[in-house]
Amino acid sequence: MVSPAALPPLPFNPSRVRSYLLRLPLFTRLVVLVIILFWLLELQTVWSVVQWGSLIPDEIGLSTMYRLNTYPVIHTGFFHTFINLLAVTPLLERFEAEHGTLTAIALFIGPLSTLPAGIYLVIEKFILHSNTAVAGASVWAFLLLGSESIRTFKSNPYFSLGNYKIPTWTSPLFACVLVWILVPNTSFLGHLCSVLIGYLLGLGYLKFFVPPEKILRWIEGKLNLLGRLPHYVSVDQKTYGRYGVLPTAGAPGGERGTPMSFLGGSSMALKSSIRKLRNNPQFLFIRLPYILSFLCIVAGVVWLFLLPLDDYSRKNYISENALLPGQVHAYFSGSEQHIFRGYKKELEGLLGNEGSEEGQKNEERTPVISDKIQSILRAAGLKVATQEYEYTSSGISHRGENIYAIIQAPRGDATEAIVLVAAWKTVNGELNLNGVTLALTLARYFKRWSLWSKDIIFVLPPDSKTGTQAWIDAYHDMQPSTVQPLPLKSGALQGGLVIEYPFNHRFENLHIVYDGVNGQLPNLDIFNTAVSIAGGQMGIGTRLQEMWEHNGSYEKRLQTMLRGMVKQGFGYATGAHSSFMPYHIDAITLQTHGNGWQDEMALGRTVEGLTRSLNNLLEHLHQSFFFYLLMQTHRFVSIGTYLPSAMLIAGNFTIMAIALWLRTGYSQGSPNVIAATNDEKTSEKSPLTSPDKADSVEQETTNKAAERQLALPLSLVVGLHLLGLIPLYIFNNLSHGNYTLATLISIVTNALLPLLLAALLSRNSTTTQQTHLIKSLSLLLLGLFLSTLATLNFSLSFMIGLLCAPLSFVHRISAETAPVLRYTLSIAGLVFLNILSPPVVLLAGCAYFGVSVETVLMEAAFGWDVWGMWTQVVVWCVWWPTWVVGGALVGVSLF
Amino acid sequence: MPVDRRKAAVFGGALALRLLLLILFPSLPDLLTGRVEVSTPVTSFKRLQEGLFLYNRNVSPYDGGVFHQAPLLLPIFSLLPDAQEYPLPTALFYSLVDLLNANALVTISDSAQAVSGRLYSSIRKGIKWDGSVVAAWFLFNPFTIATCLGRSTGVFTSTGILYALSAAVQGQTLNSMLALGLASHLSIYPALLFIPLVLLCYDRQAERTGTTPSTALFVVKHLAVFLSSIAGLLGISLLIIGDFSTLLSATYGFQLLVPDLTPNIGLWWYFFIEIFDSFRDFFLGVFWLHLTAYAGSLTVRLRRQPLFVVTSLLGIFAVFKPYPSISDASLYFSLLPLYRHYFPLMRYTFFSVSALLYASLLGPAFYHLWIYAGSGNANFFYAITLVWSLGLSLTIADTIFAALRDEWEQENPDKRGKTVKQV
Repeated sequence: MVSPAALPPLPFNPSRVRSYLLRLPLFTRLVVLVIILFWLLELQTVWSVVQWGSLIPDEIGLSTMYRLNTYPVIHTGFFHTFINLLAVTPLLERFEAEHGTLTAIALFIGPLSTLPAGIYLVIEKFILHSNTAVAGASVWAFLLLGSESIRTFKSNPYFSLGNYKIPTWTSPLFACVLVWILVPNTSFLGHLCSVLIGYLLGLGYLKFFVPPEKILRWIEGKLNLLGRLPHYVSVDQKTYGRYGVLPTAGAPGGERGTPMSFLGGSSMALKSSIRKLRNNPQFLFIRLPYILSFLCIVAGVVWLFLLPLDDYSRKNYISENALLPGQVHAYFSGSEQHIFRGYKKELEGLLGNEGSEEGQKNEERTPVISDKIQSILRAAGLKVATQEYEYTSSGISHRGENIYAIIQAPRGDATEAIVLVAAWKTVNGELNLNGVTLALTLARYFKRWSLWSKDIIFVLPPDSKTGTQAWIDAYHDMQPSTVQPLPLKSGALQGGLVIEYPFNHRFENLHIVYDGVNGQLPNLDIFNTAVSIAGGQMGIGTRLQEMWEHNGSYEKRLQTMLRGMVKQGFGYATGAHSSFMPYHIDAITLQTHGNGWQDEMALGRTVEGLTRSLNNLLEHLHQSFFFYLLMQTHRFVSIGTYLPSAMLIAGNFTIMAIALWLRTGYSQGSPNVIAATNDEKTSEKSPLTSPDKADSVEQETTNKAAERQLALPLSLVVGLHLLGLIPLYIFNNLSHGNYTLATLISIVTNALLPLLLAALLSRNSTTTQQTHLIKSLSLLLLGLFLSTLATLNFSLSFMIGLLCAPLSFVHRISAETAPVLRYTLSIAGLVFLNILSPPVVLLAGCAYFGVSVETVLMEAAFGWDVWGMWTQVVVWCVWWPTWVVGGALVGVSLF
Repeated sequence: MPVDRRKAAVFGGALALRLLLLILFPSLPDLLTGRVEVSTPVTSFKRLQEGLFLYNRNVSPYDGGVFHQAPLLLPIFSLLPDAQEYPLPTALFYSLVDLLNANALVTISDSAQAVSGRLYSSIRKGIKWDGSVVAAWFLFNPFTIATCLGRSTGVFTSTGILYALSAAVQGQTLNSMLALGLASHLSIYPALLFIPLVLLCYDRQAERTGTTPSTALFVVKHLAVFLSSIAGLLGISLLIIGDFSTLLSATYGFQLLVPDLTPNIGLWWYFFIEIFDSFRDFFLGVFWLHLTAYAGSLTVRLRRQPLFVVTSLLGIFAVFKPYPSISDASLYFSLLPLYRHYFPLMRYTFFSVSALLYASLLGPAFYHLWIYAGSGNANFFYAITLVWSLGLSLTIADTIFAALRDEWEQENPDKRGKTVKQV
């Protein structure tokens, strides 16, 4: 049996510990089990086991006498449990082996628990008048130590320390003092009481508690306990030996093997399989990685589902002191409402002047309206400028004209600015008349205040998708040639607010949209400020992720989080604010929702409060989190808590890649007959171990270092990743009419490409090593990309990781498998993989959300062209190549 | 001849790939030029252009404190048309320099000095890649391509070093010293390669003539050549610049005293940002001493394989020099394929390659989070540069282990293939 060189020898011999543990007698086992059970029970929060069972002097009454017996098996925490178990197990094992199981039960359930407790209670309650609760098996440990020390004293009465002779029976007392000093929260008195009882036991004064041997023997004989119970220690050791049977030389491999024990066979199988695991490189390299990978995926998913719990999410808080949300009085009310109505009338009057003959109002922003808006802003005393832009994507042209105006800060030096955006059309394409009017009113209102220390820029784009992008690009001189540069600029932008009020009635609550392009998020402080000003100061409820009814339950939190993750993962712009995020400008959209009693003035006051808070900022928002998942308006999970779930999923691919790499380093030689050991020979007799037999044959092959042939795997994997650029280019540059057709073609191509590759691979007689290497490299790259992606866009990495998860487990089916089975398996595998191919997932997703493929792909191409979104790069250059490799490897088994 | 055809295919393919990338992604060179991983303060093409602008207008290129490269580059680059308007000639020039480097590599590989020299020849000399494969590893290495497209002037230093090596293995010892002089003039650190290189020259000389001339005399003679070549280049530089003290402080002073702490993939910048100013001089000395210490000690330990010492030293420089970039790493990786016969002895290939891959992906991501997204901070990027350095150090340590193991197996033929444990 050759164990791989990578495994260092263990510093101690685990087989000894194992055999010791396997030989533990019955009662000791039970005690250990009960102690562990109670510790596990304590983990839940509903019922406090410690409160129920520990020895609390004031709680002891007639009905709570049970505490006198339960306290030794109850512990307060993991370390308490662990250390006490370590201390008690050997002592108890010795006691039981010496006195028999029945005696041990009788003594430990009865007097040896209650007597120390009784003494402790009397001293604690009636002499010291205090109420210290005690629990734990240490009482038994000290008791047994006490009785042992008396026995030692009889044979070996003194330690000699120089001239002094110290009686050996004092050793438990020393231990008691040491423990009291070294370990916090230990009851010195409790330990002392138990040592005392231990002395009495050792001196033989407690013998009368021991049930008469005659009765015990009668019980034992009647019930045939020796035959029925495994690990049972008989009263009469002279007849049956220490463990019920005298050890014989013939007992195999140190196994106790009680002849009367019915369960002996299975324990034997268990033991040999454990031993096999240790010496089995085949298991380490082939089985274990699959198990580990699977566990990683499961742990990653479970982790995600734990996040909404109170223990994992945190309450939101304002981290930046300068924000002072809601600390100022908002004066936007009263006469400003008349101004608002006036502006609205003027704009409404111009609305649809041109389209009126159709009976339906034309809601487009016409040049007349533009002029009106500019004249209003000019009249209010702002500097106004316009910017024209045009974008072309999927053969559709998007053009428009941004109007923007700047209030120069009376108390600033034009180095910093805040942006207020009111698009003519909301992100859903509705007319945002109230929003634009409110922005105009606020512009006039803000201009008259002298407290601004930052410039305020009002941007009025014609729509929510292109306008702000063109404006912000031009603001930073990063615009494409089809976008005009800005004639008027201000300082560095510190924050942005988008106002959307797309209906004419009053609203009930505010919907805060915060997702940016490519899953980037604004600083959590700006979101918290909005929630606290709207909710705390104005009394307006806030909602997020379109969760209109949110009662704070687990399901609702999970739903909110998942919706947020989907948006983040797709990485598209969710509103006019999204375009600000790539430039490190924190921005949110405030959408009005519902039918309630809040009017435009309330929204205006909220915006005023938020602007005042942003105006207070001394430096860019940096205090709070940039990576978070929101569950509720006032609960979030930070990156440190959620990142492991995506990393675990990415890690599963890396584990698999490393395992496959290690596996390719060994070539399998001829079966080695000598390696078969006695253990396997004996275990072959047991019917339970027959499935393991195949393994043992496999395992007996010698492993040699093998040279890896990297040229083909390397060029295949790298080539496929580069090939991904072709569909990326095609899908981003198609005209909008062809998208559905292109998707169908790509589905067919995807079904055929792996087969083609598989045919090529098998024609070149690819070795097993090479297929392993192909898979290893491809998974290594996948793990690499996903873990990098997880730091940039957690949700996308998580989703792609889950969709790719089966690729860790599919592989070329060995040519030695029966052909029928092989063909069925590989065809089933291919069908399954095709269901998970990128275009099929896209179709399924579209069907589930009820949108057409064309819309989605158009949006994606638009995102690529305008917003700089790179979700599709991840799909085509990370996911797709790995998928093709997986499909090809399954396909190879067909040829 | 079939071998030549292969070489031509590799060279042609590499040239085509570079031009194709340039034509397909016209913005790629400018993007790469701005990356801190590619361009350091002493090799940046942007800074060179600044110096060129000043030079062409008869202003001292060192005015303004941006340009810190050797003045020799200025007349060469002023011959080329403006890179902003006509990127193709510059790209072509850099591609040709890459091909020259590859050619030098082919010469080194064909001399078979890596597998068997005068004092030592490996027991595994059968395992070897021929020159065109070595050239392909160099030319198609993404790091080399990025350096070439990023137009880092570090490639000229690489050319100097590689030509010094190729001349040395051919026995042209004077040429070798002159080339090393050029490399050292461009960026000081190659001067540390003098000791192993002169030993390599000595070995080749002895091998060819069959005599063993006096070592001391040989070294002194070549040191004189080396120093006079540097002096000659400095003289030419002086003709270009005119002011000797400005020249020295702006080029050598800048390289030695490390005043510019722009982030790079090395270990110095973060340390010197964090350190109190009063300790700066001391630690500057310590860092330089640390870097120079390797040259002597490795030469002593691996005296019989001077070419391997040069290779390992280049790897060590790529980790520990003040302004490292991926061009230094690519130089090291270009020499590694010469030691194909050590690969079976290496133990951590997969892990060091994975670490390097992770670092080269996560590095730009974390830099983005720090500088552009503002959601990370400097520690993100620094942590990744540590991983990168760890990956490189692992590779270096692993190859040195393999070399020592090979020597040991030759000395103890009975222990071949047995596992060893250090005690």
